[in-house]
Amino acid sequence: MAAAGAGKVAKAAGAAVKPIFSRDLGEAKRRVRELYRAWYREVPNAVHLYQLDISVKQGRDKVREMFMKNAHVTDPRVIDILVIKGKMELQETTRVWKQRTHIMRFFHETETPRPKDFLSKFYAGHDP
Amino acid sequence: MRIFAQLEAALYCLPAAMAGALKKTTGLVGLAVAENPHEHLRILYTKILAALQDIPKDAAYRKYTEQIVNERFNMVKTNSQEPNVQKLEDKMKSGQIEEVIIQAESELSLARKMAQWKPWEPLVEEPPTDQWRWPI
Amino acid sequence: PCGLGVTAPLSVVYDAIATRSLLFFPATVRPKDEVAQNQLCAFGEYVAEILPKYIQQVQVTCFNELEIFIHPDGIVPILTFLRDHTNAQFKSLADLTAIDVPTRQYRFEIVYNLLSLRFNSRIRVKTYTDELTPVDSAVSVHQAANWYEREVWDMYGIFFANHPDLRRILTDYGFEGHPFRKDFPLSGYVEVRYDDEVKRVVAEPVELAQEFRKFDLNSPWETFPAYRTAPETLKLEAGEKKGDTK
Repeated sequence: MAAAGAGKVAKAAGAAVKPIFSRDLGEAKRRVRELYRAWYREVPNAVHLYQLDISVKQGRDKVREMFMKNAHVTDPRVIDILVIKGKMELQETTRVWKQRTHIMRFFHETETPRPKDFLSKFYAGHDP
Repeated sequence: MRIFAQLEAALYCLPAAMAGALKKTTGLVGLAVAENPHEHLRILYTKILAALQDIPKDAAYRKYTEQIVNERFNMVKTNSQEPNVQKLEDKMKSGQIEEVIIQAESELSLARKMAQWKPWEPLVEEPPTDQWRWPI
Repeated sequence: PCGLGVTAPLSVVYDAIATRSLLFFPATVRPKDEVAQNQLCAFGEYVAEILPKYIQQVQVTCFNELEIFIHPDGIVPILTFLRDHTNAQFKSLADLTAIDVPTRQYRFEIVYNLLSLRFNSRIRVKTYTDELTPVDSAVSVHQAANWYEREVWDMYGIFFANHPDLRRILTDYGFEGHPFRKDFPLSGYVEVRYDDEVKRVVAEPVELAQEFRKFDLNSPWETFPAYRTAPETLKLEAGEKKGDTK
């Protein structure tokens, strides 16, 4: 959602925009790969530090999923902002500023999927 | 108690009388009494005027700063004939002489930065229409 | 020690109110301070003359506050000038914040409030940006900007270039979105509760029952609810046809 809004702004501002860090898409992609590598290496460490009940594989799959969620973004500035946020998240994780609950929030363990068809909505009892 | 107070006053007066009414403290934390304020200010003002040479003559910054500096420089020059810090401070009306030194130091660093920034040039970019209109 | 309303008998208070309303008091008008206003105008012109490269507009408000509107490139030069110039000496950064106006091309306004202890005067510097344009950090000029800029980053998502330690300051770790943006929903995206099964606090997408979705604008601490007219319910009227969209 944020990315969609941001794309509109970039178009309105025209071609000559002030870059955040990356001047073109290739440079932005390089930053993304660097961040992905750092997260990939961090996962076993985090599983150990936070004593999580997940395997390293699960953690890495989740990291991959989070990255792929923004795979459609092509504006270098939006990518830069997402990388900056990812780096801050990584710092919070490596320095154990977070707690177990913050890490496990990525996994949505307790959420029940929203009822879709009529009958399951009826069973749920209220209209969400 | 009163005897003590008088004693204390006498103690404080003694060194002052010996040093010829020199300032003991500025009363401000972290700001020491200047040893030789006239010389210090003379050096600083000369440096500022030299730094201002890099700026075009018609730039407003150079014009106003030269005016301020020259005015203060002349006060310092006339006062250094027979140095009296108290009189100089009263004439400058800008706090104690140590504060004036700090002001001159920051003006010097600003003058050097201004030569790089070139703020006398025309406006870089007009604001978008309605950017500053309020209420919207 | 006690207020008048507490100690005086009730009738006395009523009498006082009655006589006061009978006498004709002139309307309370804020006295105009010509001297202060002229001083501020003169200083505003002085600054605009020295730094025409960055200053777009200068104004003095009706409350005698000097405001200068600048281009975002000029933040560091202007703040440094105001701090170091002998006639300005705005050594103290009192406040730094932002405003969100989503209809504008540059939706965020950034506001710097400065205080000059030497001349006992204040000045407000305003600039603008959008979600993706980085703004120069003012930490190199005023150390106080460090926390304020982290706050603005956290609440509005404005990125400050060259900030020494830009990270969240108010929101929880893992929080998504920037709460002071106008498009951030009032109820937020997630709600937090303790789950006994997994033995920890969990966050789930917010799910408000219908009776909690009504946001009334009344204060819950209203002292005389019976004597107040209820605020008008929000009505949507048909919008006028506008020629231009912006």
